[in-house]
Amino acid sequence: MFIDVGCSQEKKYNQNAYGDYFISKRYKDNGRVIGILSDGLGSGIKANILASMTATMLLKFIEAQSDIKVACETIMNSLPVCKVRKISYSTFSAIDCDEEGNAKIVEEGNPQFLWIRNNQILNPEERVITSKTFPNRHMHLYNIKLEKDDRIIFCSDGVTQAALGTKELRLGVRREGLIEIVLNKLKETPFISSDELTKHIVRQIELIEPDHKLKDDTSVVCFYFREPRKSIVFTGPPYDMEQDALYAKSFYSFNGKKAIAGGTTANLIARELNLEIETDRNLNVGKLPGISYMKGVDLITEGILTLTKTMEYLEKGIAENDAAGKLINFLLDSDEIKFMVGVKLNQAHYNPNMPVEIEIRRNVVKRIVEILEEKYTKKVDVRYI
Amino acid sequence: METIEVRICSGTTCFVMGSSFLNELYDLIPQKYGDKVIVKPSLCLGQCSSNDKHSKAPYVRVGEEVISSATIEKVLLAIEKKVGENE
Repeated sequence: MFIDVGCSQEKKYNQNAYGDYFISKRYKDNGRVIGILSDGLGSGIKANILASMTATMLLKFIEAQSDIKVACETIMNSLPVCKVRKISYSTFSAIDCDEEGNAKIVEEGNPQFLWIRNNQILNPEERVITSKTFPNRHMHLYNIKLEKDDRIIFCSDGVTQAALGTKELRLGVRREGLIEIVLNKLKETPFISSDELTKHIVRQIELIEPDHKLKDDTSVVCFYFREPRKSIVFTGPPYDMEQDALYAKSFYSFNGKKAIAGGTTANLIARELNLEIETDRNLNVGKLPGISYMKGVDLITEGILTLTKTMEYLEKGIAENDAAGKLINFLLDSDEIKFMVGVKLNQAHYNPNMPVEIEIRRNVVKRIVEILEEKYTKKVDVRYI
Repeated sequence: METIEVRICSGTTCFVMGSSFLNELYDLIPQKYGDKVIVKPSLCLGQCSSNDKHSKAPYVRVGEEVISSATIEKVLLAIEKKVGENE
């Protein structure tokens, strides 16, 4: 299973910093994902510092201890108490799960999470551990086994207490209100991504609040366990020309979405598999050549210029609607991406008289892969051929 | 009468060497020759790699003829010649 993690947040009205903090980390080698949502006391900068410290420390602790219970207990027992308000500096929810569906969840002070299967709320068994140093602090521990298409949703109390004290919702949205929002959305779009779902929930909360002004920092996090979306990118002609047919067939028979970045590469596949390429000149926008079409392939672009631009866009986090932007949509829409990188060089590209400096494909792909893994938590596999 | 196919290369080398300046041909050729000549872009004509020492991108193919260091004038001249031969 693939774990699709999404988080959406909104600041308290009139504040310039988020008082909740979410952090997550994916471990490529064992399929483990750790996520922590922390809600700092108060709002603004102070809350932001408290929440981000709690979350980052917890992440490091869980990572190092390999036991979420010990890590969370340590934090719970040591979190300071605010002198003025006599309540703890921050609250948190933490999850440590893997792709097999094993999940350990710990909550301290945050609203209880939702576990959704087949559009129903499941009630997991819980264990309560009381802090030795602060008897008013209780930690809820859950050990659950998730199945495909299950979702786990965490939120800060900004969600459940929204609209508190208003005429319509005297007691706020509460857990029931959140469940209603989530289940209605899932009925409409059962396969919605975590990112879209969390954005939807936060938007609904904003709409419920009087004058759409949030009275507290509002955060929603979703973990969605689903079948991975696979895709493959073939770029560059293979070093050994005699293997062209083999690689073309292996690419074409891939079970998932397919993209080609490179004119020579696309020609090679068209030749080996006897397919037609149609080039769309209308998409010849900006500083990049346009895109092309071939039966059975989802996207075809020019090679190295487009890849270099793709790398730039991924680094900056913004993209234009050109061929590189299309390639980015393709990549970000996938969970597992395979790159087939042909390493044969086209000498003409390295002619010193060229007005533009052209990078070596292997280096550009290497950088793209790094960004996709670190910044976008994609699972990427590269094969040089 | 046989239609003449014109393919403008938009591969990496040709693109960098200015094949986008030839975009005007997509409007110019149909205006001038109607359906006698069709003009289409090509993902890559593969000319630069087979001729790297003296690469003269951008390349355009008019029928079977390959035009190197292509300009609008050069391409139109080649088409004119081909149309003349056909008639």
